[in-house]
Amino acid sequence: MAETLVIRTPGLTTVQDLGRVGRSRYGLPANGACDQHSARVANVLCGNDDRAPLLEITALDFACTPSSDILIAVTGAPADLTVAGVLRPQWEPVSVRAGDTIRVSNIRQGLRVYLAVLGSFEADYLQGSCAPDTVLGFGTGLNTGDELVLPASCPPVAHPFSGIPLFRLHAPVPRLSSPWTIDVTDGPDRADFGDTGARLFAAPFTVTPQSNHIGLRLRGDVPRRVTKGEILSRGVPIGAIEVPAGDELLVLHRGRGVTAGYPVLAVVTATGLSALGQVRPGQAISFRHRTLDQAITAYRAQRNAVDALRTRVHSAFAALRIPVPVCS
Amino acid sequence: MHNNVVITDCGDSGLIARAVGLGTEEGWQLVHALADALDAVQLSGVHGLVPTYDTLLVEFDCTSTDHDTLRSILWHEAARFASAARRTREPRRFVVPVVYGGEHGPDLPEVADQLGLTASEVVDLHTGSDLTVRCLGAPAGAPMMDGPPFPAPIPRLASPRVRVEPGCVAVAGRQAVICPMPSPGGWPLIGRTPVSVLDLRSDPLTAYFPGDTFRFVAISPDEWDDYADTPLAACHG
Repeated sequence: MAETLVIRTPGLTTVQDLGRVGRSRYGLPANGACDQHSARVANVLCGNDDRAPLLEITALDFACTPSSDILIAVTGAPADLTVAGVLRPQWEPVSVRAGDTIRVSNIRQGLRVYLAVLGSFEADYLQGSCAPDTVLGFGTGLNTGDELVLPASCPPVAHPFSGIPLFRLHAPVPRLSSPWTIDVTDGPDRADFGDTGARLFAAPFTVTPQSNHIGLRLRGDVPRRVTKGEILSRGVPIGAIEVPAGDELLVLHRGRGVTAGYPVLAVVTATGLSALGQVRPGQAISFRHRTLDQAITAYRAQRNAVDALRTRVHSAFAALRIPVPVCS
Repeated sequence: MHNNVVITDCGDSGLIARAVGLGTEEGWQLVHALADALDAVQLSGVHGLVPTYDTLLVEFDCTSTDHDTLRSILWHEAARFASAARRTREPRRFVVPVVYGGEHGPDLPEVADQLGLTASEVVDLHTGSDLTVRCLGAPAGAPMMDGPPFPAPIPRLASPRVRVEPGCVAVAGRQAVICPMPSPGGWPLIGRTPVSVLDLRSDPLTAYFPGDTFRFVAISPDEWDDYADTPLAACHG
């Protein structure tokens, strides 16, 4: 009989990965974890492939119970992680015994928590990814009693003195704080906004409740397009800051449709997009202007830190004789 | 000489190449040829190509490649374009039944008013010629076509709909589209087809590709059930 992870309290949780890459030419958005950095780190802490399926837990409390001994890692927004009632650290591997309940509660400051399991779990795929696509109607939320099949188990990694964290792998933990500072570079249509483009940086914007993984709507002193004329539909990147008619800015996120017809004032940086994946409706965002070089340097530093973590994880797992999963 | 394309940075992980100084047809061929070329070289880190009418968006992982590398590939391919053999894939033609107006095309009267035409003249223009698919776009692989030969561009709706039903046939600007999946939309709806546009389990997802053509045929609301759930793939002709 297959070992499983049984969902006890589903909250708002989906099976997720880093997204559906290489399909935008066919009109499919990438989707995938809104906070790519936290999702990537969760898998790396479990020795998994970066693209392995994991859980994205949004805002609400979540609980599950494995039928075998497993190793997990929980990243993303600060939350209370308990295993069998004992508080355990985020951003480190955590050993879980068969039958113990894993609980994630009191998600705060940010919005999304990621839970990865060593060896991952079986997931449905569409066009190369298990990431939900709400437009296609693929990948629904988990329900109470759902069972995820666990292909691998992990013998308990026990410390002689309980309660002392076993791992100190120093994962790169992003700073999550409101008001948020989100880095952007100039967009291809910056000139269309004339002097009003500077408004993007003049005062904070507030995230409205009509915000999701497709895009965030922001209220504030919005820049205005000063040129006229129709724009033929064209590709718009994840992170594009568009200014439709009306009083709101639109920031496209991972579920964005690949084409649009609005001018693009600015583009959120790769590190900024992960941070933006944690912003809650009602919170304020200040945009900070970066050059391309600054943005690329920041993202490479973030990814280098994850690469270094991957090396430390493999060393630690080898020392503890934890089998590193072979993921497809 | 690189004067047929302008390349603009589009964030730390993107570039946009826009065809310039070429006709509509040639500019469209150029941006799709550039996308084909990037597809063919399988450059590490390139994960998104969106060629549309006159632009190509390239999205990439800036830890694996960079703007300069992509810029030089695009320039090289654009310079080659004039001499290179053009794409040879044989286009397919889809004949698509549409119920125009009424509940199926609630914006038909307004579109007719804006053009100074009658509703049936709008339908005649929409059904009167083969429309070329220029790209697959939002939402979900929608076939984005050249618009019919209307006398003027069509403005988008002042207030976009929260939900547009699958099969809705819409026009905006100088473009035409069929909406394949339920989604929000700001384009005026002039009709709806009963055929099933997408098969989610097929790979590639769509039966149509850029360069294929659609010919719309008006049917009466009574004929809806005759075509309901027919896959679009079965409508070529």
